Amino acid sequence: MKMIRAFIRPEKEQEVVLALEGAGFPSVTKMPVFGRGKQKGLQVGPVHYDELPKTLLMIVIDDEDEKKVVKLIHEKAKTGFIGDGKIFVSPVDTAYTVRTGEEGL
Amino acid sequence: MKEIVAIIRRDKVPEIKQVLEDLGYPSLTIQSVDGRGKQKGAMCAEMDSEMPDSYCTAAKLKPTPSTYALEHTLPKVALYVPKRMLTIVVPDDVVTKIVKSIIKVGYTGKHGDGKIFVAPIGGAVRIRTGEMDGEAIA
Repeated sequence: MKMIRAFIRPEKEQEVVLALEGAGFPSVTKMPVFGRGKQKGLQVGPVHYDELPKTLLMIVIDDEDEKKVVKLIHEKAKTGFIGDGKIFVSPVDTAYTVRTGEEGL
Repeated sequence: MKEIVAIIRRDKVPEIKQVLEDLGYPSLTIQSVDGRGKQKGAMCAEMDSEMPDSYCTAAKLKPTPSTYALEHTLPKVALYVPKRMLTIVVPDDVVTKIVKSIIKVGYTGKHGDGKIFVAPIGGAVRIRTGEMDGEAIA
């Protein structure tokens, strides 16, 4: 299994989540985060924003769906401007459902 | 070392903290998150009967049940349910024990009890002393 952590623009969150649901991946955990990237924040005139608000979507999926989900998030979250975010993929050993106690997604 | 990420009901947090303390692993990080699972958030059950077939025949279809719910502003529709996310980093040998106790305490039998993920952790450092890996989480 793989855990996908996508840092995306907050205004793109719903679009991404609905697209994921349409592709058969309805399960998502989201949390608001603040971050900065290569551009070291944002300079608007005299004002410097060091950390910018982003939404973090956390999705755990089977290995074979990784490319599909990453591609989908990429397509939907893309605006072409700096600050679109990053997607990270990390391994997950096991998943348990609390209600049933069973292993697997 | 393994990282246990448990997404659980909010009201179960105190109990789980107590259980972890009893097991001897009191360290944890708690985050307030919004989540959705197979039930697609908290959409009322009556909605399904009113929903046109095109929205519910298959998950693969583009206008999803959530899209329908949002477009028609059905009552009691929430795309997300508030949850608590606990992150615990523990040695390999106690993972099963901790996962089992979280499942035991977090169980209510209804949808929305949550998920637990176990992922490998490459390293750890205790910032105060600079201790590495195993010692850092001891």
